[in-house]
Amino acid sequence: MEDLIGQGRAAIDIIVDPDSFLEGEVGELSITDEDFGASAVIGTAKLNGEICTIIASDAMTANPKFPVVYAGIIGLEEGYKMAMAVYHSIKADKEKPLAEKRPLLLIVDTPGNGAGKQEEIFGMNKATGAYQMALAEARKAGHPIVAMVVGRAISGGFLCHGLQVDHVLSLSQKFNTMIHVMPITSIARITKLDIEWLQELAENNPVFAAGPDYFYKLGGVEELIDSIEAMRERIIAHVAEVRAMKIAGRDDELGPWGRGALSLERGSRQARSKVMQIMNDEFAEVAERYLS
Amino acid sequence: MSSKWENLQKRSYLESNARSRAIGLVDTGSFTELAGPRHRISSPHLPLLGEAVEFDDGIVTGVGLIGKKPVFVASQEGRFIGGAVGEVHGAKLVNIVRMARQSYDKMLEDNPDLPEEKRPAVVISFDTGGVRLHEANAGLLAHAELMDQFQDCKGKVPIIALIGSRVGCFGGMGFVAAATDVIIMSQFGRLGLTGPEVIEEELGKDEFDASDRGLVYRTTGGRHKYIMGDCNFLVADSIAAFRETLQEVLRKPYVEIAAMGSIGSLEKVESQLKLVELCVETAPKDSKDVWKTAGNEFPDDLVDMPLDEFLKTVKRLRDRQVPQPPSAQQLRK
Repeated sequence: MEDLIGQGRAAIDIIVDPDSFLEGEVGELSITDEDFGASAVIGTAKLNGEICTIIASDAMTANPKFPVVYAGIIGLEEGYKMAMAVYHSIKADKEKPLAEKRPLLLIVDTPGNGAGKQEEIFGMNKATGAYQMALAEARKAGHPIVAMVVGRAISGGFLCHGLQVDHVLSLSQKFNTMIHVMPITSIARITKLDIEWLQELAENNPVFAAGPDYFYKLGGVEELIDSIEAMRERIIAHVAEVRAMKIAGRDDELGPWGRGALSLERGSRQARSKVMQIMNDEFAEVAERYLS
Repeated sequence: MSSKWENLQKRSYLESNARSRAIGLVDTGSFTELAGPRHRISSPHLPLLGEAVEFDDGIVTGVGLIGKKPVFVASQEGRFIGGAVGEVHGAKLVNIVRMARQSYDKMLEDNPDLPEEKRPAVVISFDTGGVRLHEANAGLLAHAELMDQFQDCKGKVPIIALIGSRVGCFGGMGFVAAATDVIIMSQFGRLGLTGPEVIEEELGKDEFDASDRGLVYRTTGGRHKYIMGDCNFLVADSIAAFRETLQEVLRKPYVEIAAMGSIGSLEKVESQLKLVELCVETAPKDSKDVWKTAGNEFPDDLVDMPLDEFLKTVKRLRDRQVPQPPSAQQLRK
């Protein structure tokens, strides 16, 4: 197998315990209508013997009700379906201690959100916005959440289905993995800058370059994985690590905020922390006037 | 100072700049800008691409008061690269939200009976197309940080969105606005995810003509969002009008404010799904079809009607202040 692009379902089978994936079922949630949010796959599997919620995209199945939802695009129904899978995971483990909260695994291969007229009329921003908020809530409720990028993790698609998790893992560049907001060719067109010059600049400045390596440098990806076979074992290891950190109360080192610190460790996004520090210092001087 | 603030109140929200909006939204003389232009913190990435910088990176962040309430304000400037979110711009926005939540935690620690009137709030004036392409990856990561900080505010600090600026609120910032507790718009505000040009590219010019301003406004504009229930309040185009409604919202107890948002719980997701069902059942070709479904017999009249008449006449699809939205069945009656 050369890469996993467009093969979200195959990726599930490679990663979870054999024959353990039960599609459409998460806690009390049971989705039997095959056409509902057809481009999103949700369900429950065993991962290393443990119950685990799976959320993925199905690039092979278009949503028959929404013409712009195909090839793994997340549409209105898909966004809310994914959000429901998260909320039902929280609900199912509400009374459980941190050590027993089920992990959530996102298998990421999506080119983005539904870009259509009906989507805008009804508010596509709410659907995948809801999914992001659900993931943040589950993360803070103690569920270990890992995203595994196996194909395309493009812009708003990656933001919704990827960046809100505790740890982001990605297959390395040799698997044709794509992580970007926009390919550099499009950036060149829109900014009217020379493409060869942009590519040269990108070597030393990962803030606009496309590819998993650059997101790794920016602290946007915790780990790059070099073989398809290794994914399962590394995901299991990250789930255990994340869980241990939550039990130890180290939540601030996880998720989007944790990746902010990771970027500094990897020598990037330094302006981010600098400007935050200036704000904090300035506020400390006047805080009493506002807070007392 | 005071007279200047008074002058700001009458101004068009649309025509004002980000700093005037920030100063004018809070009580007179109460705004302190944090990491303002005097620090000269601009984007380290734009110069490498030969682009001009601004010393506030296109966003004004600071703290002010409304009554006794500390109000943490972020106001985006659409005139600078379309208000797009880069590394510094994003960090300022993320940190102002974090600061509000940390202030609440501290105040509560000092005073477990913290009165509602002193509970901090976050106010974000949107004027943005989302991620700044010149530093796209850092901008995208900042969006994720923002949603994370919003979640930390749940149960603590209300977040109010104001949308009435030139660029509106699009791209990843569309998610961010959707995740706030209350959205206040003017009829010139626009809110969405995918900009008109991209939709045209996707669907073809026959389906969606991005140069048709009427079409663009009735798909994403304030009047449409008000009918859909995606904005809670539709106000006149002045800083005073936004401020008055903001004050009105902030006088409510926190639980009431938090109930007004569109998303953020399983129940809210389920009620949004009813709207998606409605979309499938009615397959609208245009926003006006949905306005009709909402009970507006003559949707064309709503487009140019004066605002106060519009507010008196219009039927809304779901009123977010009512906990249970009508079912799709009821809506079609």
